Amino acid sequence: MGLNIKIRFKIILYLLAIIALVLMLRLYFLQVMSGELYAEMASENISREKTILAPRGNIYDRNGKLLVKSIPVKAVAIEPLIVSENEDVMMTLSECLNMPYEDIREKVEQSNLSYIDRLILKTDINTPTMIYLKENSSKLPGVEVIDLYLREYNFGFLASHLIGYTGEIDEERLKSERYSMDYEGGDQIGLTGLEEAYENLLRGKKGKIIYEVDPLGRPVSILEETDPISGSDLYLTIDIDLQRFVEETLYQSILEVRQKKISGTNEYYKVPGGAVIVLDSRNGQILSMASYPTYDPELFVGGISEKDYAELKDPENHSPLINRAVMSFPPGSAIKIVPAYAGLAEGIISERGGLYCAGAWTGLGENFIKYCWQRGGHGSLDIRGAIKNSCDIYFYQVGYGLFLKNDNMEELLQQYLRTFGFDSTTGIDLPNEDAGLVPDKEWKKDYFKDQPGYDIWFPGDTVNMAIGQGDLLVTPLQLAQAYSILANRGLKYQPHLVKEIKDSEGNLFLDSSGNEYQDLNLDEYFIDIIEDGMVQVVSPGGTAAGTFWDFPLNEIPIAGKTGTAEFFGKQDYAWFASYAPVGNPRYVVVAMFEEAGSGGSNVAPLIEKIYRYLFNIE
Amino acid sequence: MIKRIKSLRDFGSIDRESRRIRFDFILFFLVLAISSWGVLIIFSATRETLPGGVSDPQYYLKRQLIWLGVGIVIFIAIQFINYRKIQRYWWLVLAAGIFSLIAVLLFGYEVHGSKGWIDLKFTTIQPSEFSKIFMVVALSAIMSKWRSEKVSSVTFRKVVISTFAALTFVILVLLEPDYGTAIIYFIVFIGLLFVSGANFLYLLSILGLTAGGFFLALNAGFIKQYQLDRILIFLKPDISSIEGAGYNLYQSKLAIGSGGLLGKGLFLGTQTNLNYVPEQHTDFIFSVIGEEMGFVGAVLVILILGVIVWRCFYIASNSSDTFAMLLASGVGFIILSQVVINIGMTIGIMPIIGIPLPFLSSGGSSLISMFLGIALVENVYVWREVRKSHEIAYQEFK
Repeated sequence: MGLNIKIRFKIILYLLAIIALVLMLRLYFLQVMSGELYAEMASENISREKTILAPRGNIYDRNGKLLVKSIPVKAVAIEPLIVSENEDVMMTLSECLNMPYEDIREKVEQSNLSYIDRLILKTDINTPTMIYLKENSSKLPGVEVIDLYLREYNFGFLASHLIGYTGEIDEERLKSERYSMDYEGGDQIGLTGLEEAYENLLRGKKGKIIYEVDPLGRPVSILEETDPISGSDLYLTIDIDLQRFVEETLYQSILEVRQKKISGTNEYYKVPGGAVIVLDSRNGQILSMASYPTYDPELFVGGISEKDYAELKDPENHSPLINRAVMSFPPGSAIKIVPAYAGLAEGIISERGGLYCAGAWTGLGENFIKYCWQRGGHGSLDIRGAIKNSCDIYFYQVGYGLFLKNDNMEELLQQYLRTFGFDSTTGIDLPNEDAGLVPDKEWKKDYFKDQPGYDIWFPGDTVNMAIGQGDLLVTPLQLAQAYSILANRGLKYQPHLVKEIKDSEGNLFLDSSGNEYQDLNLDEYFIDIIEDGMVQVVSPGGTAAGTFWDFPLNEIPIAGKTGTAEFFGKQDYAWFASYAPVGNPRYVVVAMFEEAGSGGSNVAPLIEKIYRYLFNIE
Repeated sequence: MIKRIKSLRDFGSIDRESRRIRFDFILFFLVLAISSWGVLIIFSATRETLPGGVSDPQYYLKRQLIWLGVGIVIFIAIQFINYRKIQRYWWLVLAAGIFSLIAVLLFGYEVHGSKGWIDLKFTTIQPSEFSKIFMVVALSAIMSKWRSEKVSSVTFRKVVISTFAALTFVILVLLEPDYGTAIIYFIVFIGLLFVSGANFLYLLSILGLTAGGFFLALNAGFIKQYQLDRILIFLKPDISSIEGAGYNLYQSKLAIGSGGLLGKGLFLGTQTNLNYVPEQHTDFIFSVIGEEMGFVGAVLVILILGVIVWRCFYIASNSSDTFAMLLASGVGFIILSQVVINIGMTIGIMPIIGIPLPFLSSGGSSLISMFLGIALVENVYVWREVRKSHEIAYQEFK
């Protein structure tokens, strides 16, 4: 054998060694360096996870009456990624679910574009449809019949604003921080109200089954199974019977006011909406919270139709989805209890000292004449009389006095308003609570930063605020809290809607019926003086006397205050805020009607009826 | 003193002078070991999934055992024939190879779009597997025929004739069409030309002509772009295409990669048991080894196959004559090219070409033809000393 051939065999030998080395290096990379990654991919490759949804917790009223429960239904869920590529599947679905093909196609493609992993196409399908889909599952890749829990409302639209509604999680939420844990497309979540606020407790914990599947995706065996845990049950502070009475009475009262004309004109009161709060002053429990107009939460079960939703959002219908009890409005004279207390506490006014009301007041200069609502004037008034008659000029002077003190360095009126809980949310367990607005120098400077000359705080601003006008905004809930502070002689309770929470096994793990409060260290004597004035409001000669003339005030003494707030371009906002019985206060009742004129004549009757109900008076 | 083997007692051709048994035990036992291992792996790959609609979980195990037995019998039988006798009747072997490939085109049936199988009622055979060995025998004979004293004198005439012979085989296999086997035939032919000492000019021109022919075929539409894409999918490692060749590769890489260092254990491969890798008992058998026996098992398989190939070339380089040298090298090239392409394919560094892994893939034709090839290599070793010790013997055989 020639040398040439020997060299060629040597080349082959080296080649052999190099090839073996290359193969081994590649295997080293695949198996040793990336082994764990591939092992993970492999186990994902052969397993499919199926979620078992947990029933959502029930909601009961304070007496254990079931308000909202979860009912299981069958729903058609699809994986948009798979279905979007398969027209036959969409055709079949269109046929058997009786949905237009274009609708399905659009939904699927939209979800696919947004990378939504699961889409609920139709809820609450009937048994024949379910059987058909299950039997033909091999021809319908990416289509699944799942168990879903939907809400059922035992009391219809009652308390719908505070309970809220549930619905399918949307893309935006799915990507947000709050819903990053354990949520997937198609999940039913609380979208408003308590449903939203207590979402993490109500939803429970999903279970799951992990199947081992063959290459065609057919389950071969169960690898792991976790049972779902039902959501916790909420026990509200609401009394559903009272709630029913309040909502019905609110509706009737608004209808009545709509029949009235504004005096001296041919114009009827519009009253697009209103709100009522009944609060237990002893502990902050909300016994009833009503907002008008209202809506039927049943509309949202299984997904609201576009037509229904458009109707609910139509301005013509005055936003029935909004809970007006936690929205802010100008308070008018109902706020006067705060400047009254501030004036007494800061020595601007005294118990006996009188101020004169001539119907007009020129304290700010001849060019800035300010009038009382009673153009004829109230004459000389002390603080009690000023509250009883809701004299504006008296409170202008209180406001001006507070402004002048220390050159308004401390913004005393604003400070007292904040002490009484305004300008910040009460912290009630509802989402989207409004904080209202207590305007001050800083706010004005910021608000009018583009209009030089308007950004200065004028004495007139404080003066206007003292009668609840100007830019001051409060929520009915804030006002109820402020009145309960008076009722409690300075103790501030946290208003709340949930009394107890029990987990799925019935263990109590939240009990908010305890009496935690904050002592604001107010002067009880000053409060007594203000209360005297408020008692006179409903007594003969007071601004709400006409309404309470046949109410047994000697048995159930009521302290109240009317409010009529002017709002540019709208009719007056009407208020009545009160608590009873004086001496041993138990209930705070606050009501507000939008564009309804005088609080004394148009809102007080509703309050009177509620007190009759609360104290069982015929 | 001429020694002739007449009975089994003489098997192994004991050299009376050196008292040594001239039989390469390394080669034989490694082949036996790897084939037995293959039987076990095939059982693991088929016991749960039962491809082909059979109901007996041991169906593939039993079949492979029978073929292994047949292979061993053929191996032993071949040792009684001096390879020089085979060399003398090379034209018979050539004719057998060509006729079997023509027969399959006439009477064969299709599997996976390739007409490569003949049904013999009691079993099926794949003639292109056996023809590999036949082609090596024929080419070795042709290339060594005009042997001169100067080994390097591979004449132009020799190259042309052997090219025509090889081309006949390649074209017949391409007609099935079985591109994978055709590629193996081609590599083996080039390998044989290389070890025969052919001028590099010849080698380069053949490679050049082939490349030219390939592009012509591509342009003329004989080879479709999608076929090329399918073959070259391994160049795009990120594609885990749900269908087609990319799917096979993806699943194979998952199975092998997930085996880790030591593997999941025999019969315990999850991907294997659920049949995620298509053709896991045939072309993708290496994925089962990788998954169940891990890096250690996979490397051991490569080492055993590597040593087998090395023994082939070792025996070739120490053979008595050019025919023997070419014969043993040819078998070496068959095993080497199939091992590299097959394993390379399963781990994503070679194109997806459907060829079996020697000794390991399930299938009688592949296993028996491999045993036939190894038998010939062993034969070259067994009958080597006869000529070396006794110069006259060679003359007599002539």
